[in-house]
Amino acid sequence: MTNSPIGSTLNRVDGPDKVTGAARYAGDESPTGLVHGHLVLATIGNGTIRSMDTGAARDHTGVLEIYTPDNPLPLHGVPPGVAFYFSETRRPLSDHEVRYHGQIVGLVIAETPEQARDAAALITVDYERRPANASFRDNVDDAVVPEPTPLPMGLPITILADGVPSIDAALAASPVTVTATYTHPARHHNALEPHAAVATWDGDRLTIHSTTQAPAAHAIELAQAFAVPADHVHVVNPHVGGGFGGKAFTWGPTYLAAAAARRLGRPVKVVPTREQLHTTTGHRSAAHQTVTLGSSADGTLNAIRHLSVTQAIGEDPGTRLTMKAYATENLHVSLRVTTGLNVPTTTILRAPGEETGSFAIECAMDELAIELGLDPIELRTRNHLTHTLSPDPATRLPYSNKHLIECYRLGARRFGWDTRNPAPRSTLATGGWLVGTGMAGAVLNASRAFTAVRVSFRPDGTAAVATSTADLGTGMRTVLAIMGTDSLGIPVDRIRPLIGDSRLPVGPDAVYGAQGSAATATVAPVVRDAAADAVEELINHAVTEPRSPLHGRDGVRYTAGDLTDGATTIGFGDLLTTTGGTDVGATTTSGPVTPPSYAFASHAAHFCEVRVHRLTGEIRVSRMTTVVDAGTIVNEKTARNQIVGGVVWGIGPALFESAHVEPDTGRIANANFADYLVPVNADVPDVDVVFLDHPDTNFSPLGARGLGELGTVGSAAAVANAVHHATGIRVRDLPITPEKLLTTPTGQA
Amino acid sequence: MRPFTYASASTVEEALAGAGADSAYLAGGTTLVDLMKLEVMSPAAVLNIDTLPLRDIRHDHTGLHVGALARMSDVAAHRLVTARYPVISQALLHSASPQLRNMASIGGNVLQRTRCGYFRDPATACNKRTPGSGCAAITGYNRAHAVLGTSESCVATHPSDLAVALVALDASVLLRDRAGERAVRLADFYLLPGDTPHLENRLRPGELLAGVTVPPLSWARRSTYVKVRDRRPYEFALTSVAAAVDLRGDTIADVRLAAGGVGTKPWRLPAVEDALRSRPLRADTVKAAVTHAADDATPLSHNGFKPELLRRTIVRALLTLAGRP
Ligand SMILES: Cc1cc2nc3c(=O)[nH]c(=O)nc-3n(C[C@H](O)[C@H](O)[C@H](O)COP(=O)(O)OP(=O)(O)OC[C@H]3O[C@@H](n4cnc5c(N)ncnc54)[C@H](O)[C@@H]3O)c2cc1C
Ligand code: SF4
Repeated sequence: MTNSPIGSTLNRVDGPDKVTGAARYAGDESPTGLVHGHLVLATIGNGTIRSMDTGAARDHTGVLEIYTPDNPLPLHGVPPGVAFYFSETRRPLSDHEVRYHGQIVGLVIAETPEQARDAAALITVDYERRPANASFRDNVDDAVVPEPTPLPMGLPITILADGVPSIDAALAASPVTVTATYTHPARHHNALEPHAAVATWDGDRLTIHSTTQAPAAHAIELAQAFAVPADHVHVVNPHVGGGFGGKAFTWGPTYLAAAAARRLGRPVKVVPTREQLHTTTGHRSAAHQTVTLGSSADGTLNAIRHLSVTQAIGEDPGTRLTMKAYATENLHVSLRVTTGLNVPTTTILRAPGEETGSFAIECAMDELAIELGLDPIELRTRNHLTHTLSPDPATRLPYSNKHLIECYRLGARRFGWDTRNPAPRSTLATGGWLVGTGMAGAVLNASRAFTAVRVSFRPDGTAAVATSTADLGTGMRTVLAIMGTDSLGIPVDRIRPLIGDSRLPVGPDAVYGAQGSAATATVAPVVRDAAADAVEELINHAVTEPRSPLHGRDGVRYTAGDLTDGATTIGFGDLLTTTGGTDVGATTTSGPVTPPSYAFASHAAHFCEVRVHRLTGEIRVSRMTTVVDAGTIVNEKTARNQIVGGVVWGIGPALFESAHVEPDTGRIANANFADYLVPVNADVPDVDVVFLDHPDTNFSPLGARGLGELGTVGSAAAVANAVHHATGIRVRDLPITPEKLLTTPTGQA
Repeated sequence: MRPFTYASASTVEEALAGAGADSAYLAGGTTLVDLMKLEVMSPAAVLNIDTLPLRDIRHDHTGLHVGALARMSDVAAHRLVTARYPVISQALLHSASPQLRNMASIGGNVLQRTRCGYFRDPATACNKRTPGSGCAAITGYNRAHAVLGTSESCVATHPSDLAVALVALDASVLLRDRAGERAVRLADFYLLPGDTPHLENRLRPGELLAGVTVPPLSWARRSTYVKVRDRRPYEFALTSVAAAVDLRGDTIADVRLAAGGVGTKPWRLPAVEDALRSRPLRADTVKAAVTHAADDATPLSHNGFKPELLRRTIVRALLTLAGRP
């Protein structure tokens, strides 16, 4: 029997393919007859296209066709399901209106990508220009309560203790209050792999190699746009080079690639440039949050008011984070959204709502701790949330297996928190660097979705574990391999994980991909069930197949790849070779956790040390410790990788990331990797990650909750709190850049 | 990218003979190819000079001589440079990324074009790219732009870090055309934008930058380059300062200072140098000397912090040389 590799540090099973370049991504496909599309984008922020001069482009060598609003491609309906809320509802090229700078206004098809690009540069557009309204900040005051949607987001929620008339009254009655406004700029996913699509039609059947987080959902969205049955669309995405929510839904470039391929009767590839990705594939809304905390003198929270303004219901900090953060008798969260901005479409981005919300709440807690003269960990411990917050006390649920306080304690010990001098600007290291430390907590709702997994045995002695999800670099393939080994008792190298294909098994009424940090939690437990069902099928096969050496036997058992009745033993590979069986197994479907008598969430505590130059204000993160409570850890190596990645995704917004949207034009002034700064290796210290590993068996028999986005929650606040401790300067407007720290006279240390 | 012809030269004479009015020399290509893809530069002919034997790095009684085609990485690591002119080595090591430095040449570095985002986007107005079209940066996003030497036509910085160090050291560039060779002080080589921002330097059409000469300066051994930016590596300067001091005891006998990230060309700081000479190298004297470092600055909407950051960067560079940053 092979030992279960759950919790081990197994290397990624697809590591060698990725390192050697053998892994094929969507854009690597070049079917025979392939032609290439290059997008043309609007260069104004608001207006109407009067005319487009495509003459010179048409004459360019190799150009086959140019699609514009005057020569559009048919795309039907609007995106179905949640895609309606989180992607662009208007079909590209469907009218002459320009709603934002960088909107798609044309697609040039040519024999080579260079010809398409060079021809696209020859197109001129005559616009009737209107002033663009592109400043999020200028629209904050006019934001409105969003229209109700089937999604549980955006609506104001008020919880009041008995006899308390309003949240304002609760705050007014609090002996200590802090209130502050925190702002985030718009930000971009910037996955390393661009949204590439290679579309081939055969009659009314589409095969599309397309980088997506959810192949089955992608197929449904494409089928809708082309008015074909969903099973006529075959999405193939074996490898995905980062998604972060940006590849959860289908975007204009992909629709156009498929539409052009259908029209031309030839395979079409479209790969947007880095700059084009910034405006055509979604981004995270800017955010404006005002948090007021009211507490007693001993630090017990009495009231939390969290008023958020964003551009999108998906970016709802109050509902997604604050409701799950700290205990309080009185709470009010609300979201208002800006409307009519001339900026590109927003969508979900890693920990939507939680990331923005955690910055506001975790900084506000730091501010309150300072106001109270209390240690930030002590303040958090005093307000530990044990049950969910809900306007109806009867619906409050206890958190299952929550070990956040242990995260604080263990983190504090590893990080050396206890020796910290709480006074800001108290430590100066050699070279003129002020040293500061800060911490923050993190919470991420844990969920499981419907899914289906097929486990099957093959004559070559391998077993396939198949499900229609994606590996975004998260390690899903490795998780499937580990779960297959755990369930079937055969070595990892005999497991064949199959993912990244819309034809693989999907759940009954949800087409689940890799999103919401729930892929492992969703898929992993079902592998066990599917494996058990597959073993049953295999035994049945062994005793019913006439050519089987176990034909007609009683008491046949399966252990570690072998079938035996005590007298005769045969490996399943040999068995299937003998019987001629090719793929014997079972497809098993799961449901979500029902009925919940607990609330489920993963938690973490972040500790951060920064150095800020006393003269010039550069900020360098020098140490980071993150302690994670996410239940069973299926593979420590990929889990650590996810947490470190998440922490990097906190350092990014804290110090670097920002789309510089020009208020008057809506143009993003830094839509490239030289100017849109993300942390590079030298900006990231070695992150010390610890997993508590308390299995949450209320959640699933396996006990693994999700963690993909958890590192991103709270980590920016830990950085900002450390910057405050280093400098005494509280920066609430992200990113924290050197000029925001130049507020002391020259040279004062 | 527009179509172009391509040829490779194996001698300087061949290069000069092949150059025409609408041609561009290709060295490492890290600026040129980039800008050709963006259709900011669209030469009809590209002439590869990377093959020319202009890669020497040597030192004699007339100073340090670096061939135009020496790699940034080779110069940064050269022991003559690290020992005698640490400011040059540091300026190079704070530039770009290791991959780029392995590819990029010294001549190309000095001749690189501005990183102004509007210059690089042909859909916007830019007097430097298209004379007379306007300057989108003045009303646009201009945090990285210049505050010194600007005009109503252009506010772009010169992006080279190396050039800041070279200007501090009073270096010259050697220019060669069919008529012969001439040396021009780098400080005079670069032009202020005025109302002709498309004219950036004194290089004549077809002229080749053959090398750089840094005059002897024994006390440049005590020199440093401080570059301030958001991200630790791989970003152009918000501000930078190249500094060298001739220290006698703790008195500044002589000093060289030049700044980057703030000027439309590498910005020598003679007034601050004057205020420092014969003074002790101490925090108070340094702070007093920088008070007027940026008096001529004209900040834009997003870079109002640059004058103060410049003063602080100078202080930091000098205190670094005093061993007390
Ligand atoms: C992402 C990125 C980040 C960067 N960061 C920095 C940075 O932090 N600091 C910094 O200083 N630089 C930075 N650079 C710029 C880089 O240093 C320059 O691109 C490089 O030095 C140019 O050298 P090259 O040999 O590649 O020049 P090329 O691209 O080959 O040429 C540049 C220009 O000079 C002309 N030319 C080249 N050699 C000669 C010659 N001998 N005679 C006449 N004309 C010539 C070319 O025709 C062209 O116009 C960065 C570049 C990139 C792409
Ligand atoms: S600052 Fe200079 S380079 Fe930039 S847009 Fe204006 S004119 Fe062009």
